[in-house]
Amino acid sequence: MKVAGSYTLPVGQERAYELLLDPAVLAKCMPGCESLDKTGENVYAMRMKMLLGSMSGLFDGKVTITGVNPPSSYKLTVEGKGKIGFMKGEGVLTLTADPAEGKTAVQYDGDVQVGGTIAAVGQRLIDTTSKMLVKRFFEKLSKEAEASGTSAPDSVPR
Amino acid sequence: MIPHEFEYASPATLQEALQLIADGSGKILAGGMSLIPMMKLRLASPGSIVDLRRVPGLHHIGESAGVVHIGAMATHHEIEISPVTRSRCPLLAEAAASIGDIQVRNMGTIGGSIAHADPAADYPAALLALEVQIRLASAASDRTVAAADFFQDAFTTAIEPGEIVVELLVPAEAGSEGYKYEKVAHPASGFAVVGVAARVQTANGKISMARIGVTGMGPRAFRDLPAQKLLEGGADVAAAAAVVGEGQETNSDLYASGDYRRHLARVHAARALAAAVSRAS
Repeated sequence: MKVAGSYTLPVGQERAYELLLDPAVLAKCMPGCESLDKTGENVYAMRMKMLLGSMSGLFDGKVTITGVNPPSSYKLTVEGKGKIGFMKGEGVLTLTADPAEGKTAVQYDGDVQVGGTIAAVGQRLIDTTSKMLVKRFFEKLSKEAEASGTSAPDSVPR
Repeated sequence: MIPHEFEYASPATLQEALQLIADGSGKILAGGMSLIPMMKLRLASPGSIVDLRRVPGLHHIGESAGVVHIGAMATHHEIEISPVTRSRCPLLAEAAASIGDIQVRNMGTIGGSIAHADPAADYPAALLALEVQIRLASAASDRTVAAADFFQDAFTTAIEPGEIVVELLVPAEAGSEGYKYEKVAHPASGFAVVGVAARVQTANGKISMARIGVTGMGPRAFRDLPAQKLLEGGADVAAAAAVVGEGQETNSDLYASGDYRRHLARVHAARALAAAVSRAS
């Protein structure tokens, strides 16, 4: 299932790229992420508790970062397996500095594959859920960016 | 599969139920038509369940001072056949009649359904068109939320931890209103691929009031304010139906793509409005 869209972060491009690659930030912003531990170069073991309404599921998986091309783009792969099914999401994130000062447009283009029980009974919700999770991720990332924005090198000192 | 182990409580009063969930724990069980299947699939594994079946004061359907009060535990079937709903808010009865199947309608409740907030549920479209208020109670509070503010996102509502839906307040209609709930039912599940609830009032052959609620098309049901405005401004049904869903988010699945859902919403909005107009007096 294709998932694509864009989100504007309230910080400059360099800072936005920095945040998007920071595992501590990713762990904080990825919905339900309980832990993200480095297991190799740009590879992280992940524990995620997905919550959607009354539904919940624990996933164990892997986050891989490839195609690192600062400060423009990289590819993020998130794989998870749990009792209720498995999922694999791959997406390319492309950053462009917004004409409005101090903002960055993040374009994401990806694919989500789901299998197991959640796919069998929840197929109709995969699109909705993916979009919701991506939205939650960027909303949290926006807050994180704002919170740490004053320490960024390309922000206006006050 | 059988569900994971869980604690089960069946309180005898509303206060007891509210106390049990006051700390934010405990999943409410109403009709169980959404929760139990999920628990059996282990998609949902709440540690404790609070069953509302014995709580009095949640099953009523009655009118007072121009408002139809519907208890959260009223079943879809009760709402479908009640002479009160059929005469005072028939749009709601029509939506209730279209839900799932007979077995689901006998057990499923309006409170449970709206708390679950499935994007493909039928009630939200009607509740938005009827401008319903939803009463939420907790151990420490009692408040009402407009339907337009209640449905926030897929499976996400304005219900705060510790709160229960206790009642729905539906403005009783004048009797001269026209209404229609048009639904495209998924052939297997019966869920609304798209559902449009329309309510109109006419005066001298023109539409003086229009309310349109759309469900199934996106992550949550929405009021189509632009189409309503067009109709109230004198535009004809075709012109208003053509803009339904413009700019709104859509869901997509194997059965129907987002664009197709928007197209269905427009086609069925036109049908619902036409039927509502012909029913108006």
